[in-house]
Amino acid sequence: MTERVINLKSFFEEARAGRLTGIRCGRCGALAIPPKEFCENCQQREWQPVPLGGTGTIVSYTVIRVAPRGRGGEVPYAIVVVKLDEGVSLLGRAVDIPFDALKAGLPVRFRPLELQSQTLIGFGPA
Amino acid sequence: MRRVAVIGVGVTKFGKHDRTSAELFAQAAADAIIDAGIAPSAVQALYFGNVTGGETERQLHMAPLAATLLGLPTIPTTRFENACATSHVAFRHAVMEIASGASDVILVGGAERVLNVPTESATEFFAYCSDASLEQPAGLTFPGVFALIARAHMDKYGTTEEQMAHVAVKNHRHGTLNPKAQFQKEISLETVLKSAYVADPLKLFDCCPFTDGGAAIVLAAEEVARRHRRPIWILGTHAATDTMFVHEKRDLARVTATERAAQGAYRQAGKTPAEVDVVELHDCFTIAEIVATEGLGFFEPGTGGLAAEKGWTSLGGKLPVNPSGGLKAKGHPIGATGAAQIAEIVTQLRGEAGPRQVDGASTGLTHTLGGNTATVLVSLFGRD
Repeated sequence: MTERVINLKSFFEEARAGRLTGIRCGRCGALAIPPKEFCENCQQREWQPVPLGGTGTIVSYTVIRVAPRGRGGEVPYAIVVVKLDEGVSLLGRAVDIPFDALKAGLPVRFRPLELQSQTLIGFGPA
Repeated sequence: MRRVAVIGVGVTKFGKHDRTSAELFAQAAADAIIDAGIAPSAVQALYFGNVTGGETERQLHMAPLAATLLGLPTIPTTRFENACATSHVAFRHAVMEIASGASDVILVGGAERVLNVPTESATEFFAYCSDASLEQPAGLTFPGVFALIARAHMDKYGTTEEQMAHVAVKNHRHGTLNPKAQFQKEISLETVLKSAYVADPLKLFDCCPFTDGGAAIVLAAEEVARRHRRPIWILGTHAATDTMFVHEKRDLARVTATERAAQGAYRQAGKTPAEVDVVELHDCFTIAEIVATEGLGFFEPGTGGLAAEKGWTSLGGKLPVNPSGGLKAKGHPIGATGAAQIAEIVTQLRGEAGPRQVDGASTGLTHTLGGNTATVLVSLFGRD
């Protein structure tokens, strides 16, 4: 197989439509986001796209108060690393979660976020 | 493979400069060549590091420019970029070129200039060193990356914001002893703890500054180095990489690339962590120093914060870490940092570090980390 089953563009197109997609190794079953060529675990190249449920729990979080150029109007905003129920993790922007409620283990649910005509990975309350 | 030594070092004052990156490097390089006591024409190649020149100075192709401004316009040059680990990567490749027998004398180093652009622009350019598909659009910054690590370390081990503040206080105290440091002023624990949050739990004084500066090293093969007054030998140099994606890190409370780079360097050098006398490590944020002291094998996982709190890593402590002031106080011109750390360890092992000298230091270690903990270099140095 030489064509990727999904690429970054289609990953974000799917995300924009509210669908989170990972890839599963057809050999060892490892899950990954974003798409890549070889499986780190078994060195094979036999990926299948796999829909992800979008629910998971926070692994770590921070509230950004000094932003890069062009994002100053968005501060403060929270970034979270989320371990999805399927076992694979993803980083995104926390949405509609009070900062003081953020903690490791908090259940969250994926939701797409449109900012500056770009699709972002967001996580809101589960 | 041939043995390789550092025979010359040169570092500009760190801080704000009106000179370009290429000029800053050329100045440091000339100092390093004079320190080495060799003719400029003895230099056979330049391995040069710079990260943001395209963004901050509209200047790419900076390696031949730096060689031209140095007055060596015909030597072969290469530009390296691996985020904040840039010039340590350049160093490792230069060591291999000499060890292989291809060259005898190589000039290595780097320069960075970012204080000529607004802070929000510098923050943006540095963020280019994270992934542009998932991480930059989310608004992740470098303080943000290390804040995620800090939070994970606090949750897993009980590390406190106060312990992190001790790292800042210690490195600022060391910086007062380094005339080249950007900050030469002591700060109190309270100053750190009361400073504004940049990315919770990291506050302004947990973060290293933006810095302009250049640093250079002259490397030589054993035959050349033996004629030098005090060669400092490279005992081991190892590179390790980890996934670029923060979400793919297996444990955010660890930097596994540091652990792997350290193991490789110790193995190559035939040394153990207990044999290291002085360390310059990558304290871009206070938590980064705590995690690095664990990953380099100096303290058990989870006890790096305690080590900072107890003063074990201070000058006069059991293992002085960042006697130069570290990135935190000396400053962090990202393309120059790896070379500047090596210059400090060479100065320490020569016994020429003045008021910040670690008495009797004979084995030193440098550790440089790039980007989202994706690139890590560890090198070990010894004297005759």
